Amino acid sequence: MRIVLAYKWTCDPEEATARADGTVDWSRAKPGLSTYDPVAMELARRLAEEAGAELIGVTVGGKGVGAPIASKAALSRGLDRVLIIEDESLADAGRSELAAVLAEAIRHIGGVDLVITGDSSVDVAAKMVPTVLAGELGWPAVAEVTAVTGQDGALRVERAIPGGVQVLEISGPAVLAASADAAVPRVPGMKELLAAAKKPAELLDLSALKVPPGGAVMTVTGRSRPERKARKGQLINTADPAAAAAELVAALRAAGAL
Amino acid sequence: MDFELTDEQQLIRDAVREFADTEVAPIAGELDRDHRFPYELLPRMAELNLMGMPYPEKVGGAGADYVSYIIVIEEISRACASTGIILSAHTSLATWPVYKFGSQAQHDRYLPDMAAGRRLGAFALTEPGAGTDAAAGTTTATLHADGYALNGSKIFITNAPHADVYIVFAKTDPDRGARGMSAFIVEKDTPGLSVGEAEHKLGIRGSSTPPLYFADCRVPKDALLGQEGDGFKIAMQTLDGGRIGVSAQALGIAQAALDASVAYAKERVQFGKPIAAQQAIQWMIADMATQVDAARLLVYRAASCIDNGRPYSTEGAMAKLFASETATRVADRAIQIHGGYGYTESYPVERNYRDAKITELYEGTSEVQRMVISRSYLR
Repeated sequence: MRIVLAYKWTCDPEEATARADGTVDWSRAKPGLSTYDPVAMELARRLAEEAGAELIGVTVGGKGVGAPIASKAALSRGLDRVLIIEDESLADAGRSELAAVLAEAIRHIGGVDLVITGDSSVDVAAKMVPTVLAGELGWPAVAEVTAVTGQDGALRVERAIPGGVQVLEISGPAVLAASADAAVPRVPGMKELLAAAKKPAELLDLSALKVPPGGAVMTVTGRSRPERKARKGQLINTADPAAAAAELVAALRAAGAL
Repeated sequence: MDFELTDEQQLIRDAVREFADTEVAPIAGELDRDHRFPYELLPRMAELNLMGMPYPEKVGGAGADYVSYIIVIEEISRACASTGIILSAHTSLATWPVYKFGSQAQHDRYLPDMAAGRRLGAFALTEPGAGTDAAAGTTTATLHADGYALNGSKIFITNAPHADVYIVFAKTDPDRGARGMSAFIVEKDTPGLSVGEAEHKLGIRGSSTPPLYFADCRVPKDALLGQEGDGFKIAMQTLDGGRIGVSAQALGIAQAALDASVAYAKERVQFGKPIAAQQAIQWMIADMATQVDAARLLVYRAASCIDNGRPYSTEGAMAKLFASETATRVADRAIQIHGGYGYTESYPVERNYRDAKITELYEGTSEVQRMVISRSYLR
């Protein structure tokens, strides 16, 4: 059984700052594995350990995704090897384009039985890549996956649905998006971290993949944000909690908030 | 000159920080309040290969460089200074002399278990009448036909009574002073070895430091580490490395106090704005951050001397002197920034303040560090 774990190496927006003109300054944001990817890696790792499967990491993106630290960070979390497609043209690629490249990378690997992804990427958070990728591959897509067990051809998948859990049996290849809390990722041990550099990390040129040309071109042409309302600066400085609460309620009513 | 950590050092820092934030920090306050040894953290640290960081994989260690090991102590201490010193004492003070001075048989018997964290180590040098003047110890080791008999007492022994292996210093020739001191590996259940009541300390309350008593404590001849008379040299060389561990502990405490202060300054509102908007607070934060960064450079430089096979005694002493005094000063400023709340257990800075002081005292007081540094300049 061969499992692909699609992951993203990117910066956390919480570490970025917004400039006055609405553009984002990423210069002080440290790149890392996208927040929910370690959860997907843990889920995939458990399945691979149980099924004796090969676990291959795949990532696509702009400059930096091929840095040795990016591969080592991924490889220290139980992956057997990684395939990286680093190309500056992918730096600002949309979800469809990234999914198309991922699909070709998965075809390039060959013999893949299952693709697992994180819930969403920390930077874009569109939750679209797994579904578009499944469409590209012609496979079913399952989101909010909380557990997966079994073997190639007979996977048992649990997914969170409102108010409960849905259990699915999947006979063929599929794309699964792990829910954000599907598993608690293991902290990598020091030996795993130091051994990561010895595992294979293959950098593949984008031109080596036959990615079909995309359709419509989508470009961000403007940004705006709602104007901030000036704060009223009302201070409730009453020692008695009940009186303070009454004062707060009265102030909220006066402001039309209640 | 490259001030960047290697990929591995960055990844190790991130992983240990994740462990410290999720598993160590949440119980640090309780360990302190209840004077409780963190039993549950030791198997976890062993699982993550943190108990033998700088030792080769072939003897059970993680095979990491010394800078990485120091980063581990820093990050653990940032969450809990008690756990930091438990790990540092085990690695630098107990495992290191076995690794450096032990025979092949001693390596085989102790290193795999100690480096993998299956057996915890302790270092027993200080005595009631012999602290800074370590050579003044009166514990004796008398040679008999079948081994040595140890008699005397030790105090402030980090990791006792939980340790499985003790590195004990005793006089085999009391008339020769420092040259009459020898080092022994003593196992915990050896008859004649007993452990006294734990000290009630100002800080690092999760780390136990009771006295040890030796009453005709018989150890075999092959418990001798190195040769008879090597004890003082073993102790001093061990402390040269140990104090880099303490400097990393101090650095972690200082960083924790700085982090807490930055967070508090941004959220605490007085006069209608966060106190971070006040220049008085900004200047304190600026000074604290600069001192912490300077301490980090000294600490990492000392560790990199070990990695590069260069002498590190003076560099280690400078790192410990500066980092420990920085920890005390930064923790003091952190309480000042927190105001009255900083004096309560509601915020961790009061613990940082109490934990910081010991780093100026153990494994060589600040005065000893100044002696070591000045001697290297005034030779």
